[in-house]
Amino acid sequence: MSSTLQITKETNDKASIATLKVAGRLDANTVSIMEKALTDSLAAGARALVLDMAELTYISSSGLRALLTAKRNTTQKKGDLYICALKRNVRDVFDMVGFSAVFHIHDTLGQAIQAANGLVGSLPPASVVE
Amino acid sequence: MSKIQRFTAPARFDQLQHIAALAVEAAKQVGFDATQQSRIELAIDEACSNIIEHAYAGEAGQIYIEVETEPNHYLRIVLSDTGRIFAPDQIPIYVPCTPATDVASLKVGGLGLHLMRQTMDDVCFEFNVPGHRGVFNRLTMIKRL
Repeated sequence: MSSTLQITKETNDKASIATLKVAGRLDANTVSIMEKALTDSLAAGARALVLDMAELTYISSSGLRALLTAKRNTTQKKGDLYICALKRNVRDVFDMVGFSAVFHIHDTLGQAIQAANGLVGSLPPASVVE
Repeated sequence: MSKIQRFTAPARFDQLQHIAALAVEAAKQVGFDATQQSRIELAIDEACSNIIEHAYAGEAGQIYIEVETEPNHYLRIVLSDTGRIFAPDQIPIYVPCTPATDVASLKVGGLGLHLMRQTMDDVCFEFNVPGHRGVFNRLTMIKRL
């Protein structure tokens, strides 16, 4: 049995927002895939990251750490991280460590993108903040 | 009457899903609901990840898994390894975030241990336990229905 994590980058109207669809298991075995996708998105110019986790079936502390690092990296760029559509068991893990209190978690992808649009629309050009 | 099953798995991250599946199946046999099955899966994942990362620290090794199930009563998981000893009381105590938490300075040491203690009723570490493979580390986790 091999652990799997699939990450698909969705097309956005704004280059400063990266939307990633995350599916499968996010554990110590797969976290490097997640870390690379997040790092690549920021390196490509995104300042806000939207993570559609509707198909994420499992997360462990390794995954939580990767998300925390990504949130810190986005806030350094005056951006932020937006998460949506968590399954009940994944939300349970967020709740147990209090991440629900510090991450932007939305019920739907539309809500998360709207929130990211609201942030990015209020930001000065990247050249000013970086 | 309880049933005991024993497994051995290489101490590698690519074994986590397989080991977790064993725990979930055992949890079903006891009668835990889906929420508790997920929490038990998380506990054994965190425990095995710690063994792989800290006890064996990149070296080859085995994780010896014993699962005891008593339907309608409890699940007992015993994980043994022959890796390095660590001091649980030296692991930072993770404090769950609140809306007032400053993410920039948040310390996440002890996150895995916190999750194990949140999800299981008993979490007990023992070290230098004598056995037929020499001395080993033993972690016992119990979840009652």
